[in-house]
This record gives sequence, structure tokens and C-alpha cells, in this order.
Amino acid sequence: MTSSRILTTSKIALAAVLAVGGTQVFAQSATEAELARRLDQLSAELAAVKAQLAQMQQQRATTPEASKPSALAAAEPAPAPVAASEAATVLSSYGEINYNRPNKASQNAQADLRRFVLGYQHRFDAKTKVVTELEVEHSVTSSSDPGEVAVEQAYIEHQVQPNLAVRAGLFLMPAGLLNENHEPPAFFGVERNFVETAIIPSTWREGGIQLVGNFDNGLTVQGGISSSFDLTKWDAAATEGAESPLGSIHQELALAKARDLAVFGAVNWRGMPGLLVGASLFTGGATHGQAAASSRVTLWDAHARWTPGRWDLSAVYARGTISNTAALNATLVGNPTLIPKSFDGWYGQAAYRLWTSGDYALSPFVRVERFNTAKSFADLGPGITPSAAATEQVVTLGANFQVAQGIVVKADVQRFRENSDANRLNLGLGWSF
Amino acid sequence: MVRRLSIGLSVLLSALVLSACGGGTAVSDVDTASTMTPLSAQASLGEKIFNDTSISASGRQSCATCHVANSGHAADNDLPAQMGGAGLELQGKRSSPSIRYLATNSAFHFAADGTPTGGFFWDGRTSSLQDQAGRPFTNPVEMANISASEVVDRLSHAAYADEFKRLFGADIFTRQEDAFSRMTLALQQFQREDTIFHAFSSKYDEFLRGKASLSDQELRGFALFNNPAKGNCAACHPSAKNSDGSHALFTDFSYDNLGIPRNPDLLQNADPTSFDLGLCAREGGDMASRGDLCGAFKVPSLRNVALRKVFFHNGRFKSLKDALTFYVQRDTNPEKFYPLNADGTVKKFDDLPTQYHANVNTTEVPYNRRPGDAPALSDTEIDDVIAFLQTLNDGYKR
Repeated sequence: MTSSRILTTSKIALAAVLAVGGTQVFAQSATEAELARRLDQLSAELAAVKAQLAQMQQQRATTPEASKPSALAAAEPAPAPVAASEAATVLSSYGEINYNRPNKASQNAQADLRRFVLGYQHRFDAKTKVVTELEVEHSVTSSSDPGEVAVEQAYIEHQVQPNLAVRAGLFLMPAGLLNENHEPPAFFGVERNFVETAIIPSTWREGGIQLVGNFDNGLTVQGGISSSFDLTKWDAAATEGAESPLGSIHQELALAKARDLAVFGAVNWRGMPGLLVGASLFTGGATHGQAAASSRVTLWDAHARWTPGRWDLSAVYARGTISNTAALNATLVGNPTLIPKSFDGWYGQAAYRLWTSGDYALSPFVRVERFNTAKSFADLGPGITPSAAATEQVVTLGANFQVAQGIVVKADVQRFRENSDANRLNLGLGWSF
Repeated sequence: MVRRLSIGLSVLLSALVLSACGGGTAVSDVDTASTMTPLSAQASLGEKIFNDTSISASGRQSCATCHVANSGHAADNDLPAQMGGAGLELQGKRSSPSIRYLATNSAFHFAADGTPTGGFFWDGRTSSLQDQAGRPFTNPVEMANISASEVVDRLSHAAYADEFKRLFGADIFTRQEDAFSRMTLALQQFQREDTIFHAFSSKYDEFLRGKASLSDQELRGFALFNNPAKGNCAACHPSAKNSDGSHALFTDFSYDNLGIPRNPDLLQNADPTSFDLGLCAREGGDMASRGDLCGAFKVPSLRNVALRKVFFHNGRFKSLKDALTFYVQRDTNPEKFYPLNADGTVKKFDDLPTQYHANVNTTEVPYNRRPGDAPALSDTEIDDVIAFLQTLNDGYKR
């Protein structure tokens, strides 16, 4: 399949997704900041897109190529003409290469192919598709190399009604602004922000089933049941739990303990062009009957993004709580990293499209974020209860430079208020299609 | 059976080794409840062999002689090493360790980061419970049989000889090598099947199950045990429940060199040129080229450690209090544990040749101190840790 063919098919698929009110994932993976604003506008012009889609379907149905069934479609007992004509497999990919140079410890500077992702979407018919992503982190994965290979997404989505889809499999959780939209051109800064990595784990996915409803008033509602976290693998002797409490106990559907499940939901409103306002909630058991005490992880967030003119403004607040931590921590006392009772963080970010020429676009930005991965601990008694961690504040100042649609060069500096040894310069190259 | 399954049946559990080590993954037993199921015929036979003194040259020593159930299957006395030989007149070379919680130990190997790990006995020289179980029978300072043939001959006259033949064939005693192998297999099976060897029935286990509470002192001691800036015991004796729900064995099966003081009560130490170098000098000589491992001994489990009456490979200390005090004051007050040189200086690490002093762990808590520094644990804190260690005894009754 040639790249032009892929792109053409992608655009058709994009329009189809919007028209039937389906998932945003594919649309998001094919766009970046600029396209994201256009998508918001397109959402507001849903009726016009529907009309265009209908016209395209009619045109394709009359071409000889479209009438030729695909291999998969031919296997169907009685494929509907329209379904056969829409069968399409689309390749997608994104990647990022980052360079980090600590100000005070240049000997620790690192360059890393942070992630390289290949994905495909295959549409079985007009209503049903599979979406997958396979990721390699840190270039090389072997028993003696630091890399990791992971399936980030693998789900089936079926359109039940024009405004209602059901999604099942391994999917990204609808939380914050970044998790479902994590391709490098889609966010500012070389590294993903801390709130959406340390508080909301990134990239956070669970196995389960969810309903996705898109309504003409710009409202998208998602909800379902999924696998949950695993507190029984909390490593109190390690520091990972202090860096990202939920990141250290996520299961990623890898032989995931599944006695305890979670429920989740998210609401996003795009009723005004350029504006997105939303919130999410996740709550699930996390001890799976394997600890003396049952515990529940709850995570919620509120987020907003507004893109008036050349501005791109966004903010996220996220907060997580873990119940019954006193009982769980009683078996871990004295270790350096006990399970926090609560953790939270927020950021505000402003970017401005300063200069454009053709596809070139330069967008400086600044982001201020404050987060605390151990904001409180349950009382264990004097001398044993850990102190809450200090709230970290990070200011990131930099710019994204769009070289072409889907390709971005980034540079920024980060200053940490608490851990100033982490102050650093970051450079990055990213792409997505 | 063996007079000292000690040197023999040794492997882990006896002494206390608080220091930090490598590795870190606690091998664990999934059998977290002491459910009583009948022993198989093979295990039942193994139990008989385990308690049979007739297979020793002295006729007075069995496996159970040095591995007493009421002492957590370690020795029940404070001898630095148990007595063996044809007349029980010979002293062993190392203390008799507990043989509980060994079912999931592995053969000796180097972990990915180079940490020596696993194996049975204090120096990891055997690769399985079965292999380990056979050694004391022919050890001259233990059960002191001259050969495996002599062991099998004694076995063929045991009260359970017919049972042995029913299980392994009427002609089994004519095949001496096979008979010896079947005997050690039965011993291994006994240790694997009888839940007393992996009961997970301590107060700490009940605490993990949410069925018991630790007292304030025990909880303080537990915190000090885990705290990497205080006891740092958990660095080598992991305490946390594993992610599969199994309970920790309180050993990472690694090795460490603690610079234990020489024990004058060991007869072999009458010769000032004699040193027990542990891992690098073990039988077979496979580690002979690893001078950096000289002085390293296996990290034992701390389960039932409070039942022990001597600690460390040479039985140098006879109370938990003394053992823990050594850990935290070895470097702050070395004069308490080592003799003085003629010039009044402390002859530190006196149970190792000078060239191996650099092998001693001096970098990790609680050893990273100097004379004049405060010990990592105060006297009161040591008492707290001991209170916690006492919760690791099997057979807790509410």
C-alpha cells in the first residue's frame, strides 16, 4: 500500500469516524495540535460531514475497484455491498527521539529512541473495526537491553447506532487530555507532562468493554467496566511507587489479576468550536482477594482545552486515592515507599502559534504544573507513619516546531522547585501518521 | 541419621545476616497454610529415615539429632558445631542450620547482576535437598559412615527395610548406588511434603493474613527491620508479601561477607593458620579462583531464628541480642568483638586472612560506620527488632 493510498484511505476513515460519531482515537492519531482544532470544528459541523460521507460512499460504490471484495470480506457469507466497499486496512505509526541534559549533571545526559509505535486499523465493515498499536521503547529489547515491547491498544469497536459504539479489548482509558492523544505532535514539550504521567499513568490502558456515545450537541460520553490495578505488587523497597503510584501497579492486561474489576466513565463536551471541557472517573478494587485488607483505587480528573485563534490553552487537575492503606502499609512499615492515601496534581499550559509558513509552524509554550505523588498517608502510629511528600512544581518553557503535518521538532527547559538537580534541557523529534 | 546434617544438611536458616546483599527476589512457598495432608508412602519412609539413628556409625545420631523440630529444625543446643564421628567425639566445622523453608531454594548460580545465589549448605555446594540430604551420612565428623555402601548396608537392616523394598523393588539393596539415591529421595520428599518444613504459621504470617496484630514494640521492630537507614535487614531478608500472594522466606538466598569474629570454641580454630573461607573454598573447588568470594556465606532465612541458640556459620554468638549488637556496632565499637593487636589496635575481621579483609561488606547499612559514629540501632531499638523476630516462630497460637 503506497503512502498516498494510506493517506487517502485515512482521510476517508477519518470522515467516517466523525460521521458515525465513533472513536476519536484514529482521528487523533492522524492529527496534531492544528488538526485537533479543526476536528473540534468538524464536530460542530457534523451534519455537513455526514453529507460528504454519504456522497463519498455513493461514489466509491460505483467504481469497479470498490465492487471487488477484499479477502476478509469475501470470507463473509453474504457481505453487504456497502460493507465490502468500506473494508480497509490503515497503517499508522508514531515515534519520538529525545535528548535530556541535566543542568547540574551533564554526565547523565541521555539520548533515547523513547518509543517507536506501529499500528493498524482494519475496518471489517462500515460498523466494525479493530484498532491496534505495538510499541517498542528504548530501541532495543532483549534480556540484556533496556527496551520493552508492549501492545498499547488492541480493541474491536462496533457501531451500534449512528451515535453509539461499543468498544471491547485493550484500550486507552479516557482520562485527562493526553492519555488518548499521546502522539508527539499532539502535545507540547519534549516529555509528556508530569501530571499525566505521575498522577494519571501514561500510557494507561486496561482491558474491558465500554460504550462510546457521541451526540449532536458536542457531547461525548464514555463508560464501561475494565481490569484494574494490582496493589499486591506494590514494591515498598523501590522508588517507582513514589514516582508514579499508579504507574507502578498498572497491569496492562499482561496476565492481569482480574478478581476485582473497575468501572469508569468520561464526559467531554465540544459544543463550541475550539473548546473542549471534560472530566473522568475511574474506581476499582485492586487487591483481588490476595491481601488481608481490600482496597480500592479511585482516580478522577477535570480538564479543559481552548484554542481561540493562535492560542492553545489547556489545564488538567487529577486526583487519586487508595483506600485501606493503613492495613496494607502495616505489613510494609519501615520501607522507603509506602502506599499513599492520596496523590494529585494540576497544570496550566499556554501555547501561541507565533509563526507559520506553509506547513511550518512555530509554537512557543509555557507550562506550570504542581503535583504530589504522596500527598497523604493513613495514620500508622507515631514514628511509623511516613511524612507526606513535598509538592513538586515544574515550569517548562519551550517550543514546538512543526516541520510538516505530523512531524515536530521540540525544545524546552524544565525547572524543578523541589528537586532542582532535575533541572534540564530537552530536545526532541517526533512524528505521527 | 546424620550427626550433623549441619555441615551437611545445612543450607540456610540458622544465623542472622542483616546486611544488605544483592539479588533481592524472595523465593517463596505458595503453601501459605499448614494444611495437614497425609504423607505419601515415599515421604512417610523419608520421615522414618530422618529419625533413624541406626544409619550412623555411632548408632546415636540421626538427621533429627541436629535438626530438632522444636528448634525450627536447627540444633537445640548452643554448641558452635555439633559433635559427630563414630564415637560422637569429633566436632563439626560449622553451626547446624535450620532446614525449614528450603523447598523453593534453587541450585547455586550467579544472578544476572553477578550475585552468587542459591545452593544448599552454608556454602551452596549442593544443588538440591536430595543432594544435600546425602552428604552427612559419609561425613567423618557427622554420621561418619565410611562409604555409601556402608550406609546402604545399615539401611538394609533398618526396621523399615521391607517398606523400603516394597517401594523401590525387592532387589534394591543389591543395587547400592540406587538404594542410596532412593534413600535421599525419600528424605527430600519428606521435607517437601510435611508442612512442618514450610508451615507459614508464625504470628507474622497471621498478621499478613489479617488475623493477628503486632504489638507496638513488634511493629516498631518491624519498621526498623525494613528501614534501609536503620536495620536494613530486609535488604537480604525480604519481608514483604510477594505479588503472587505468597509469604516471604526472609532470605534472598544470596551470600554475604560480614567479617564474623573468630570463634575460639571451634576446635579447628586452635590452628591460627586455619580459616573457614566459605564460598570460595567449598568442596569441589569450583569457586577457588574467586578470591572476592572468600569469607562469604549463605544468607539464612530468619524464620524461627528466635529459636536458635547459636548464630552465624561459626556459632560465634549465642543470643539474638549479641548477634544484632554485632551487626550495628561492628564498625562503631569493633573492640567489643575482636581481639587487640600488640599495639593496642583492634584486630578487625580476625577470622579472615588479611588479603580478604577487603571482601567484607563495609558499605551498606548498618556497616557503613566508623568508630565514634552512632550505631544504626540503639539498644532499645535492637530489643524492638528482636521482638519482631520472635513473631517469625512457627506455630503461633492466638
